[in-house]
Amino acid sequence: MATDRDKRAEILDRVRALGGLTPGVARQVARDTGVAEAEVFGAASFYHLLAEPDVRVRVCTGLSCELAGAGDVLARARAAGWPVGTCACLAACDRAPAVLHGRDTLAGIRPDDVDRAAGDWRALASSAVPERDWRGDVGPAGAPADRLACDLLGEPDWSGSAFARAAQLGPDAVIAEIDRAGLQGRGGAGFPAAVKWKSVRSQPDGDRFVVLNADEGEPGTFKDRELLLRRPDKVLEGLAIAAAAVGARDVYLYVRGEFGAPWRSLERAIARFAASGALADTRFHLHAGHGAYICGEETALLEALEGKRGMPRLKPPFPTEVGLWGRPTLIHNVETIACVPAIVQRGGDWFRALGKTGPGTKLYCISGHVRRPGTYELPLGVTVDELAAAAGGYVGELRAFSPGGASSGFLPARLRDTPLDFRALADAGSMLGSAGVVVLNDTADVVAAVANQLRFFEAESCGQCAPCRIGTRFLRQALDRFRAGAGRGAALAQVADVAWQMNEGSICGLGQAAPLPLVSALRHFPEEFADG
Amino acid sequence: MADRNADRASGGGASLTASLTIDGERVPFAPGETILQVARRAGAWIPTLCYDPRLEPAGACRTCLVEIDGWRRLAPACATPAAADMVVTTRSDRIARHHKTLLSLYMTDHVADRDACETGAPCELHALADRVGAATDWPRMEPVRAGRPDDRNAFIEFRPDRCILCARCTRYCAEVEAVSAITLAGRGSHTTITTADAASLVDTTCEMCGGCIDTCPTGAMTEKIPLREHAPPDRLLDKVRTTCNYCGVGCQLDLNVDRAAHGGRGRVVKVTSPPPGTPPNDGNLCVKGRFAYQFIEHPDRLTRPLVRDAGGSLRETSWEDALARAAAGLRGVADRHGADALGFVSSSRCTMEENYLMQKLARAVFGTNNVHQCAAT
Repeated sequence: MATDRDKRAEILDRVRALGGLTPGVARQVARDTGVAEAEVFGAASFYHLLAEPDVRVRVCTGLSCELAGAGDVLARARAAGWPVGTCACLAACDRAPAVLHGRDTLAGIRPDDVDRAAGDWRALASSAVPERDWRGDVGPAGAPADRLACDLLGEPDWSGSAFARAAQLGPDAVIAEIDRAGLQGRGGAGFPAAVKWKSVRSQPDGDRFVVLNADEGEPGTFKDRELLLRRPDKVLEGLAIAAAAVGARDVYLYVRGEFGAPWRSLERAIARFAASGALADTRFHLHAGHGAYICGEETALLEALEGKRGMPRLKPPFPTEVGLWGRPTLIHNVETIACVPAIVQRGGDWFRALGKTGPGTKLYCISGHVRRPGTYELPLGVTVDELAAAAGGYVGELRAFSPGGASSGFLPARLRDTPLDFRALADAGSMLGSAGVVVLNDTADVVAAVANQLRFFEAESCGQCAPCRIGTRFLRQALDRFRAGAGRGAALAQVADVAWQMNEGSICGLGQAAPLPLVSALRHFPEEFADG
Repeated sequence: MADRNADRASGGGASLTASLTIDGERVPFAPGETILQVARRAGAWIPTLCYDPRLEPAGACRTCLVEIDGWRRLAPACATPAAADMVVTTRSDRIARHHKTLLSLYMTDHVADRDACETGAPCELHALADRVGAATDWPRMEPVRAGRPDDRNAFIEFRPDRCILCARCTRYCAEVEAVSAITLAGRGSHTTITTADAASLVDTTCEMCGGCIDTCPTGAMTEKIPLREHAPPDRLLDKVRTTCNYCGVGCQLDLNVDRAAHGGRGRVVKVTSPPPGTPPNDGNLCVKGRFAYQFIEHPDRLTRPLVRDAGGSLRETSWEDALARAAAGLRGVADRHGADALGFVSSSRCTMEENYLMQKLARAVFGTNNVHQCAAT
């Protein structure tokens, strides 16, 4: 029998099944679930894939897609009279420009593809690359598997041998290996994984959960997509090991709504493990997101799983103590959890030694002005030049790079020797974040790139707290005024105060980081903002 | 909710078992209290906008942020539990800059002119912005929040340009009234307060209690004109505390009187709730208590005894005459047809004592059990 909790958790999926938030849908879902009609409406209206049911095709407005001509694709689709809109980064920066078609991301869509579809937006899917080809370039080619934790090019391993080894070791020994490995959260914060595992494990008895954060949405980041497409075995096995270690049986996988192909990959992998029983009685629950970048923030993700508006919670308390449905919850990014099987198999010391300036390898995404955009598993702490070399080298001369998604701001070429790790980038006033590196060469317009990212944060702010809700908008308007010729002194006079307020006052990391693109550009590229 | 009420009831001193430091002073507190509750009891000034003691703290308006030793980030006083030996700072350069920049930002997205903003209700945001010296020369946002101008309900109006999205109204509607007629909807700067499918409130579960108006700090939720017919700003109105006479609960309410109206005779121009914490209704009212006060000035209202003349028209008379005529009429019916030919109907708007006397009149004086009152069913 479905509990009230379960019914509440279902409301967003029910709105989706009814075709999105058209008039009367909230009322029907309210009738079917007992959740108040306004609550259904308020929750669904938060998610753009539900709130805009008439939009069938969305063109990615991410920086890499913009650099690759997404504007032309959008213009032609509009001219063709398609039910088209825009969306934030689709995690296809290596195959830009990308278009969302229903819930499937189509990579590498060119203006010609729009023309070829001859006015029928449905025909775009058939002219686009097939699902399998959403896999991008990964590497480094030829690296020995025993130097890689994620090993994107390796054959999937369905044996469950790491899970069996973990069962042999027992929870405490597994957690000790994770600790020894020095594994840090790969979602952006770099928090030590073992601290979370210990905390969840030490909570008083009762339900507890493991949650996978597969809401990859940080602009410039697409590594989790590759993992889900190529190595779902590692992801599920890591989750099963984590669940056993912290004493959970139920694992919730929150997969972003735009990830049609990765979702299907996970579905197949779950079925395969269920059939073999290799992961014992771990129960996997797949849960689709419905379009909201903020749900990559762990507490917003928990709210979304519970069928609510994806507004981050106040911390403390942290999810390890009060998480999903108020229970202790271990929540990890896809890449973090995918490192776990190799750590269990080869040991924490092995993992730690893989890194250069920090423990382990790291999946670096690189896009923009490089020859072979893609995902490269390299020692933690490589420089942007080393990463670019793995990606076939720069196109043109390096001018600026964004080391870890939009939230990390822009760094100038003279900081090219900074190790791409958690500490060094924080010291440089930036962050490793999701390690989604976007390269801008000497032909790029830095101010336009900043404007792109400010628009992104304004569109994706959840709106809960004033510093972020008003601040993201304020900064975007200020830069618009500057670009319209208002001059730095006048247009950007309040930027320092607003950025300070957003960083101090915002509830979550989105608002705290949202000023960074502009603030970092003002700091590192002052000539771009000279009065004139 | 029980816990929260326990928190609110505490502070009397009985269970103050631990202490923390606020601005250098040692302050005792009871388990479960928040920093805000303790600090306010100690006389510290911590501004709030989204806080209402009747609601679960949201920590969303960010005005109440304080410094806590050992915490890197500022913490919302309203939602942070007091802990033993915590060291809290409410006054510092950092907090002052926080107040000033936050309120400056709020004001870019709010009606700039205070008098224009305060038609109908005082605005806590303006008052706070003035107090912390918020900038008034920052560029302004173009308005984006959608309202529901066509909502045909008679009582409640939402003015989106005044809204600061503190969500007191939606939380009140859900947590106190358990009605959930209104909700936060949309996302980011487009977030607004609305109903499912933006329907009129009359087509929702709304009970028109007006609690959203009461809890709103900025007058974004307000009484509809013509309910709010008064000309003078809210701050010039006299509040007269009285007991609601619509039922026997005894809710306290404040008649807002424009003394100058009617050539100095005065006029009730709206009803507001006393502050939360005022017994018995804790600042809550129902649709009748809050909105049905226009009978006071209604031309049909009986304010003097009237009797019918030979032609059947009503004419004014004395109480003695009116009572004598009524008594004679009642007696006449009882004499001719028996006491059970009479029926007595009283009102829930009468006091309990008046209702008691009515049934006494029926049963003891006339000898019939035909007595009823509208609250008896």
